[in-house]
Amino acid sequence: MANDSEKLSSAESLRKTRTFGKVRCHNPSCMERMEPSPGAAHIKCATCGMEYRIYWVRPDLPRIRGPVWEVNRKIAAEALSRKLSTSKSKSQVKEGVKDGVR
Amino acid sequence: MALDRKIAYINLSTGKIETKPIPMEIRKKFLGGRGLDAYLLYNHAPQGCDPLGPDNPLMISGGILTATCASATARTHIMAKSPLTGLLGSANMGGFFAPEMAWAGFHHLVITGKAKSPVYIWIHNGRIEIRDAAYLWGKSTTETQWAIREELGDEDIKSAVIGQAGEKLVRYANVMTGIKNAAGRTGMGAVMGSKNLKAVAVRGTMDIKIAHPIDALEYNKRFIEGITSAKVSGTQGSLGTPFIWGATNSWGGLRTRNFQYNQMEYADDIEPERLDEIATETIGPHHMTGCFGCQVHCRAQYKIPSGPYAGKYDEGPEYTSLGAFGSEPDCRKAETVLTGNHLVNQYGVDNLEIGSMIAWAMELYELGIITSKETDGLDLRFGNDEALLEMVHRICLRKGWLGDVLADGGIPASEKIGKNSFEYLVQVKGMSNLHSDERGTPGLALNIATASRGSDHLRSRPAIDLYHLPEKIMRKIYSNPVPYDGPLSSEHTDYEGKPWQVFWHQNCFMAVDCLGICKYHTVFLGATLPNFEDWPKVIYYNTGLEFTPVELWEISERCNNLERLFNLREGLTRNDLKKGDMLNHRYFDEPTKRGAPDVVGLTIDRQKFKKMVDEFYNHCGWDKQGVPTSATMDRLGLNLEPSHLL
Amino acid sequence: MEKVLTVDYQKCTGCRLCELVCTVMHDGISNPARSRIKIVKWEEEGQYVPMICQQCEDAPCKNVCPVGAISRDVDYGFLTIDHTLCIGCRSCVSVCPFGAMNYNQIDKKVFKCDLCGGQPQCVRFCDMKAVDFVAADNMTTIKKRNAATRLYASQKHATAIQEQI
Repeated sequence: MANDSEKLSSAESLRKTRTFGKVRCHNPSCMERMEPSPGAAHIKCATCGMEYRIYWVRPDLPRIRGPVWEVNRKIAAEALSRKLSTSKSKSQVKEGVKDGVR
Repeated sequence: MALDRKIAYINLSTGKIETKPIPMEIRKKFLGGRGLDAYLLYNHAPQGCDPLGPDNPLMISGGILTATCASATARTHIMAKSPLTGLLGSANMGGFFAPEMAWAGFHHLVITGKAKSPVYIWIHNGRIEIRDAAYLWGKSTTETQWAIREELGDEDIKSAVIGQAGEKLVRYANVMTGIKNAAGRTGMGAVMGSKNLKAVAVRGTMDIKIAHPIDALEYNKRFIEGITSAKVSGTQGSLGTPFIWGATNSWGGLRTRNFQYNQMEYADDIEPERLDEIATETIGPHHMTGCFGCQVHCRAQYKIPSGPYAGKYDEGPEYTSLGAFGSEPDCRKAETVLTGNHLVNQYGVDNLEIGSMIAWAMELYELGIITSKETDGLDLRFGNDEALLEMVHRICLRKGWLGDVLADGGIPASEKIGKNSFEYLVQVKGMSNLHSDERGTPGLALNIATASRGSDHLRSRPAIDLYHLPEKIMRKIYSNPVPYDGPLSSEHTDYEGKPWQVFWHQNCFMAVDCLGICKYHTVFLGATLPNFEDWPKVIYYNTGLEFTPVELWEISERCNNLERLFNLREGLTRNDLKKGDMLNHRYFDEPTKRGAPDVVGLTIDRQKFKKMVDEFYNHCGWDKQGVPTSATMDRLGLNLEPSHLL
Repeated sequence: MEKVLTVDYQKCTGCRLCELVCTVMHDGISNPARSRIKIVKWEEEGQYVPMICQQCEDAPCKNVCPVGAISRDVDYGFLTIDHTLCIGCRSCVSVCPFGAMNYNQIDKKVFKCDLCGGQPQCVRFCDMKAVDFVAADNMTTIKKRNAATRLYASQKHATAIQEQI
């Protein structure tokens, strides 16, 4: 019913799943939830080793400002060379291969 | 009430003006905004008409909820045949224009013909007048708006205007209102320019009766709380859309150096947080502003901190300005981004398209496909901030050989530049994509390939795919309002289930555009934001019209099919690299070089991409060539189109 | 307890939701021309200032009214118009130094802020708290603390510099 105001919609019922105070690792195959300690400027993902700079939008709302370039660039370069060595040609480097650094 | 707002037909060749009510039968089938515009375009644009000719109708509209007691009903929609793509032209802007037009008595304008000399249209409480705009010609977007207010003596007038780029018929010139609200894409500013129409000015004090005011007020409060409590709104309201640029860069989804890279490393000076610091230094701690009735306030204010434009006030930059003047040309100075953003706002040009054009030219220059002869001596290499900004001036004013050529858009430019320049042009249907790289995200790649107005992220992008949501939550979102029990994958590098997500978002975003609300108030960047189940209540309380969520879904499908029919009529074919649902070969052939471990080394798989398109067409009710089947036409009641009821 | 509307214009984002909800609340209509609150803008500089009725102690609108139609509400202290007495001369509109007494040309009536009878909707919907509704005896406490914080911080900063020297 258009005017059934009491019932929660799907979107409204999903709101309880929000997780404040946490960020997710930006590595797609990882996406581990990480909880920076209040005010922390950096965080390292315990699962995949990627490192990020943290910015606090509000005291309860951290976000990833960006990678720690030296660290993540090295992880990416290793991943790429591993993919290139395990595949015969570049064109086969396509799949979202689960990465060894996990 | 909202439903008594009218439609006006304005012929600039003859000066004839006609106003009509919008029949309820049409409202129930197409709602308003983009959906009804699509109906008008399909009915009023002669097949094969010249986009810059007098026959091309220009539609300006608000949604069915515009200026009612609902959240963020600020959006103005503009539609015509696009001079950039030759297909559907459609663009949407925030600000305060559409609500003012609704208080002036109108939801829809259909502007045809061509004025003999520059004019502007003045709409005030139901009256429409065509006025001389000779004194406005040559003025920037903001100068034009302030001059109209001064001439008519009312500071509350809102205008949708073109800048110099629109006058010069730059094929991706935009229509703007306020400081930076832009109906950016597909060259709607060039259509206005071709009609000698400098501006549409509106002012209204007519009542819009709310059907159930106290319920509307209370429900709006609940609706807004759902939006402001989302994490994404907090970030958006603090850093604006640059936050998306930052996040995208972090994992490697950012188009850099015209698609050579998918990440811009060490870009500290233009990171959103740095821009926020500049805004704080130049404006103060409260430097975020918003469109009409919106609590997200995602638009930053700033003054240019240094350089030749130091001290100039502007708003933004958005993601696209960071892409256009940061990552694409590989420039790393905040001053360049903020100045570039100011220039495009003043000239009235699509920052996304101009940034892509210049980055493309930079790659061609470095490859030797164009030389300093074509650039008139300009050293157009990546990372040259001065050359980048100089090209903005040249394109918007059509100065120099290259400036003039690039002003015609990518495909015509590639024909003039020749050699293999086309291979390096990252476009779909003749329009450049957002400065993002979809090689790691097949769902997003499908979105840009099939979007109705050319490569675009605001038509069907399943952006929440990047959040790695649990399948249970995905099911809850994507199996509503119509059931879906096919595959759904939380992995954004997968191909499984993505066609349904793209189809779902295509309908969701169409509904939003028909309502006239902002996409930041639905499932775009936040998974918990309102959608089909929530909107019927807003519509009912404000207008008294009753819809079920499924009915809204069907309306969206109907409007999307009309856009498709228009595109097919104007020459879209599935695999056409210039006019089809096909990606540039670089997506398939060049693996990404940077990014997170799972993103580096990726391409889009041709076979799987083809399968996704097939599956997407199937969800849409289209055949293998992307043509709506007769069963689909029957189901959606489109058999009689064009029906010329309005 | 008497409460007053306060404005911190630096916080205002200029969205005009307050104007919208004001007219929906009072008239069941969306039309900013009927709004009791109005955002005055300098768009070219990005400055927005919400203008409201100050409910003046020595109120010119009340003083000028030839028929005594304007009086003060005993519970909340706002000034209110008795439309059964009002003759529509608009003297109050002319005399108000803030432009907060308005004239509605559709209904041919003057109108002004009545604090929504004690629950101002502009405040309820303003997420930024650019308009707020605070106890009259407490209205400067937050301002004092904010100013004091600045002083305190700069004092600490100055001391730190001195120590470095």
